[in-house]
Amino acid sequence: MTRLGIRAQLLLVLTVFLALPWLGVEYARELERVLRDAQDRTLAGTAQAVAIALHDRPRLFDAPVRLVAPTGQPPQDLVDAAAARPVLSAGAAVAAPELEQILQGLTRTTARIRIVDRDLGVLAHAGSLKRAPADAASALSWLDPILALFLARPTEEFVDDDGSGSAPAHREIVAALDGIPATGRRTTDDARAVVVAAAHPIWVGDRVRGAVLVEETTNAVLAERNRAFERLFAIVVAILLVGSAALTLYATWLSARIRRLARDAEGAIDRDGRVRGPLPGSDAKDEIGDLARSYSGVLARLAGYASYREQLASRLAHELRTPLAVVRSSLDNLRASPPPDEPRPYLDRAQQGLDRLAAILARMTEAARLEEALDDAERERFDLADVVAGCVEGYRVAYPQRPFALSAPAERLPVDGAPEIVAQMLDKLVENAVDFATGGTIEVALAREGDRVRLTVSNEGPPLPDGDAEHLFEPLVSRRPQEGRTPHLGLGLAIVRIVATRHRGEARADNRADGRGVVVTVVLPLAAAE
Amino acid sequence: MSRRIAIVEDEPAIRENYADALRRIGYDVTAFGTRDSALAAFRTRLPDLAVVDLGLGDDPDAGFALCRELRSLSPALPILILSARDADVDIVSGLRVGADDYLTKDASLPHLAARIAALFRRAELSTSPASAEDVIERGPLALDVKRMTARWRGKPVDLTLTEFWMVNALARHPGHVKDRDALMREANTVVDDGTITSHVKRIRRKFQAIDPAFDRIATVYGMGYRWAAD
Repeated sequence: MTRLGIRAQLLLVLTVFLALPWLGVEYARELERVLRDAQDRTLAGTAQAVAIALHDRPRLFDAPVRLVAPTGQPPQDLVDAAAARPVLSAGAAVAAPELEQILQGLTRTTARIRIVDRDLGVLAHAGSLKRAPADAASALSWLDPILALFLARPTEEFVDDDGSGSAPAHREIVAALDGIPATGRRTTDDARAVVVAAAHPIWVGDRVRGAVLVEETTNAVLAERNRAFERLFAIVVAILLVGSAALTLYATWLSARIRRLARDAEGAIDRDGRVRGPLPGSDAKDEIGDLARSYSGVLARLAGYASYREQLASRLAHELRTPLAVVRSSLDNLRASPPPDEPRPYLDRAQQGLDRLAAILARMTEAARLEEALDDAERERFDLADVVAGCVEGYRVAYPQRPFALSAPAERLPVDGAPEIVAQMLDKLVENAVDFATGGTIEVALAREGDRVRLTVSNEGPPLPDGDAEHLFEPLVSRRPQEGRTPHLGLGLAIVRIVATRHRGEARADNRADGRGVVVTVVLPLAAAE
Repeated sequence: MSRRIAIVEDEPAIRENYADALRRIGYDVTAFGTRDSALAAFRTRLPDLAVVDLGLGDDPDAGFALCRELRSLSPALPILILSARDADVDIVSGLRVGADDYLTKDASLPHLAARIAALFRRAELSTSPASAEDVIERGPLALDVKRMTARWRGKPVDLTLTEFWMVNALARHPGHVKDRDALMREANTVVDDGTITSHVKRIRRKFQAIDPAFDRIATVYGMGYRWAAD
């Protein structure tokens, strides 16, 4: 399962805002539609206006001196069409003298106007589809490559008939010649521009004698659309970047706070489960502060419980001493007053029970007394090798049924601490090893590791259950089969850990590498060389 | 005339058991349940020996206070403190207020009786002149086994009864290791290893107070202790 930090999650959520650019594109397209409609209507209006000016002029169409025959070549005069001047056929010039003025005005736009008769011959022609080259590059032209992904850029480099030939029979002209004004659009032959065309019938009486055809590219609309989109895009990108940066910073700060809380939480308890103090940051006024406070509360309760449990044993022992003394002194008195023989076995058994109780009591208070002893023990420098060697000799006598093997380097191993307490710790380790050994030798080993010394006690026997190694060091945890005469209270390894920690070392239990037993390791720092 | 012992113990069962046991031996025992009743009696007439429980009633320090008062009434009276507590600090404080020895309540009656007898002996003999035959010398150490006192380089070392017995056990055979069980037997007590360690530490400190270079009691780890021979 891959880990997804808060910042990554935030960035995922932020992808929602990628909809913004899409919105911008849609806006631009909408704008384009609006502008297109406007253009269509304008062109239609222009066509209509020109057509109206030409209504009811039969002579316009009677004198068929066309500019261009339906299938003829363009005369030289049409060269002027590209220029600003409209070109009219003779008939048109006579029939409608003001036509030239009208058309003249219109050539100032980007529209091309043609007046055709029923045979699609051109009677007049003005304007050009192409207009002046594009405006100066906008300040945002660096966006062009990106925008080209979404929007076509208008270009004046297209190829279309320049209107000098006869009018092609597009749909709108056909409709107009049938009396219906129409607009349409087509793509140029090289597909680089779109041309909008509007046609309006010219009536003479109640017959359509011709049509006005007004054409324009959509380039102006496209240019306008693109300009609007550019601005919008720039703003959106800026907002996205600033917003993302701000949110990322916030997420970073938030995740840093949470990580700090996690670190503080880890550090708030030391290895023995002692609480070091309330968490810093418990006065923040938001949910993280709440979390810190509630965790501090939990820790405080935990500490209270832990200290209650610790003192449980010694408080219990203390309470038990007095009744124990009552029973013992009573038994002693019974023995001393000359008793008949009959109750004697009962006296003996009562005495044995009492002794066992006293032994349990002693064990229960051992850990607490050890802490006390550690507190006011004078630290001295002693040779760990010496102490261990001496102890092992003692164990050989105390546990004659088990062979002991000691391996230690030939050098001195100076340690600062309380030697008798370290000896006590070793006693516990060996006691454990002997109790669990099912055979073989108890191996005690000392090894120097840099500035520390490693003491191991290893026995053959059942391996540790998985995941149990740490628990064994907790007080009152025992994996011992309860068969001995003195019930084991599970304090041995707890004492080992206390002593190791107070000497600034560590204790751990592992299964042996050969899988046939358990090895308990204590690592202690060596005294600094003098 | 039998010797008079005063027992001050608030737990009635223990009080009566102790009193009965001591009477059976032949002492004249008066038992008190509270500090005030005991003090009132002491002001009228002092006993020959007092056994005081430290935890009298609700006040955890009543026993200490009683000891102090009693000691001020009589500097030589043997006082034995009993307590359910066996913390070092209590032992030290008890001895500091002038008690001669300290015993935990779960000690057996024979052990108690042995101590009382020894305390009486010591008290009696302290007034009579010392006889050279009673003294064991081990280098700078002089142990008067009858009077149960010790001297180091001529200066008296103020040892409790228990401590004297331990030093005696060690010094009688210098160089021999005495294990904890042996020391306990000699000291007429049954305690756990930690207590033995504390006793030995206290003994060392008392000698070192007189002679900072004292190092005659050697710890043999895993075995016990040894009085270092010269």
